[in-house]
Order: sequence, then structure tokens, then C-alpha cells
Amino acid sequence: MPDGLLLLGGGIAAGVFGSLLGLGGGILIVPLLTLGFGLPLIKAVGVSLVCVIMTSGAAAGVYLERRVANLRLGMTLELFTAIGALVGGLIAFLLPEHLLELIFTGLLVYTAATMARRREPAPPAPEDAPAGGGEPAAVEPAASSFQETLSGPGYRIHRLGWGLVGSVVAGLASALLGIGGGLVKVPTMHAIMGVPLRVATATSNLMIGITASASAIIYLIRGGIDPFVAAPTAIGVFIGASVGSRTAHRIRLGVLRGLFVAILLYTAWQMLQRAFA
Amino acid sequence: MTRAVVDAGADPSGTRLEQSIARVLTSGSYAAIALLAVGFALMLASGIGPLAGGPRFDPAAIPGDLLALRPTGFLWLGLIVVVATPASRVLAALIGYARRGERRMVTVAALILLVIALSVVVATRLEG
Repeated sequence: MPDGLLLLGGGIAAGVFGSLLGLGGGILIVPLLTLGFGLPLIKAVGVSLVCVIMTSGAAAGVYLERRVANLRLGMTLELFTAIGALVGGLIAFLLPEHLLELIFTGLLVYTAATMARRREPAPPAPEDAPAGGGEPAAVEPAASSFQETLSGPGYRIHRLGWGLVGSVVAGLASALLGIGGGLVKVPTMHAIMGVPLRVATATSNLMIGITASASAIIYLIRGGIDPFVAAPTAIGVFIGASVGSRTAHRIRLGVLRGLFVAILLYTAWQMLQRAFA
Repeated sequence: MTRAVVDAGADPSGTRLEQSIARVLTSGSYAAIALLAVGFALMLASGIGPLAGGPRFDPAAIPGDLLALRPTGFLWLGLIVVVATPASRVLAALIGYARRGERRMVTVAALILLVIALSVVVATRLEG
């Protein structure tokens, strides 16, 4: 089979898995391209950023139309994810590849541990997400009038400063590893800032575009994105994510999650070996 | 009730803004996927292998490649649309918030666009 169709198929698989399990495609695409197709990590990260922007764009549109995402909060935080991504995009070209591979191995293990511990269902697909911002959070006086304007129906924003710090970290991680950064943004918004989980997931999805594009521009101009690899992979991920979001309600996610944890750990082992090769 | 609660709950201008931003995101995504799909089809038709190593990004060559129906023209244009769509969404938000007189959100949107512009400038200088 031609490599182009293999990349398309790999992208579809990554899109389906990522969508079913509530992850961006990046965590799967980078290992697919490095371990499966032998691409240098920096090029795999560049392609992954393109895929992440593609999948988040369509989903974020649906989240906004259904009024699940908090636009004001998302825009405020994404100013800081963009700053982190700009810095990360510049650092990425300076760091040795084996160091990035080691960091990515850590990310895979962390994600596997997070998935193994997760008990609640995966974040809802845009089609299933309810409007109105989810369950109400505890109501406390806001620290500033600006912070107050970022709150949504039934919840108030707390600890905005920590949210901004978390956003910079998410932007750095996104630029260095080719991920959307939801692994940092969603816990920051939900556990620290008091944003309901559904709103945090949708708002994180909205922010992915700007987060990833700030560094994707650097990858694009500096030769870190190969268009021949990016096109079939991005098309595949887009198709896979669409299929996954429509079939999520028919799949037993418990079994799938167990399988996915095993795949992540195996991939982490392969990536570790590559880092020390 | 805070202003944000009003905006997120019942304000029709807030709904319109979010809907217009959603349209920018959705149409950008579909335009990008269409361009990439045409480029990929031309790649397959030309017998180009994806792992052979693609060309460097050269914006000046895109119009000529498009006119000659070369895959690289469609692929680069598709990738530009991909990375430009989120910035277009921020621009739409900036215009929407400006119409509503929300200076702080206009400032936030302008700063985001400034960071994106800085990415372009810094990357171009490093390559030059």
C-alpha cells in the first residue's frame, strides 16, 4: 500500500481513538510518525500541530454554537498559551531530539496514568454537550471586576493568576510536544479555577487553535512541517475525529480505555528506547 | 447577576458574536480540508511519495503552483488556511467586541493577534 494511504489510515485511527477517549490527536500522531514512519521528532511535532488545529477548529465551532465554551475566558487564557507557544516554538529548534523524546515519554506515561485513574465518562462530543455551562460551582466573591466578567452561568472564576500560569505551561507543552495542551488546561480550569468540567473541556478545545497556531507558524516558516506528510495525516485525523464523535455513545469506553493505556505504555517504552538509541 | 452571566445566558448580541465566530472556525476548517484533499489527490496522481521529503515553505511559489495544478500549491495554501483560521476567529471576536464597546476584550484580542504576528516576524528573521 502506498505510504500516503498508510498515513491516511494511521491518521484516521488516531482521530477515532483520540475522539473516543477525549484526547487531542497529538499524543497519538507524534509516536505514529516517529516510531511508525521514522520521521524526526521535530517534523512529527509540526505535523501534529496542524492536525490538532484542524480537529479543534470544527469541534470548537460546534461548542460555541451550543454555548458550551466560555469565549471570554478562553480568549483571556489563550493570550498566555500563545505566549508560551511562541517561546516553546523557538526553544524546540534548539533542544536536542533525545531530550524532546524523553519529555514525550514522560507525557505518555502521565497520560496513561491519568486514563487509568479516570472513572467518569470521557468528555462529551460536541453533539452531546449540553448548553448552559454545566453544573454550578460554589459561588464566592470574585477577586476583580475583570475576573468577574469571565465567569459564566452558575459559576464564578477563581484564582485567575494560576490559570494564566497554567496557560503558559500548556502553550510551552503544546509547542514542544505537538499536543493541544488540554492535559494541562482542563485540570487548571476545572480544579483550580472552578470551571465546570464540560465548560473547561469545551473552552480548552476552543483555545487549542490559537495555542497551536502560534507555534505552528514557527514550524511552518522554519521548515518543521512537511506538506506531503501533513496532508494525508491531517485529512485522516479529521475523518477519524468526525467518525469517533458520532460513534462514541455506542462504544464501551472501559475496555477501550484499558487497551489505550496498554498502547500508551508500550509506545512510551519504544520512545524511551529511541531516546537512548 | 454579572455582565458575563447576562452575556453567556441571554444576550442576543453575545449569541450572534459566538455564532459568527463558530462560522469562521467551521468554514476555515472545511476550506483547509478541501485544499489539502485536492493537494493529496494531485500527490497520488503524480506518484509523489509522502516520505520522500517535501519542499521548504516558499509563499512566493504558491500562485504559480496553483495555476500549474501542482500539489504543493494546494498543500501550502491548505496549511496556511489551517494556521490562519484561529487568528481569523480572534479578529472576528475583536470586531464583535469593538462594536459592543468592550475595551478590555478588544485589548485581549489585539494582544493575541500581536503575539501571532510576533511569531511570524521572529520565525521569518531566524530563517532569513
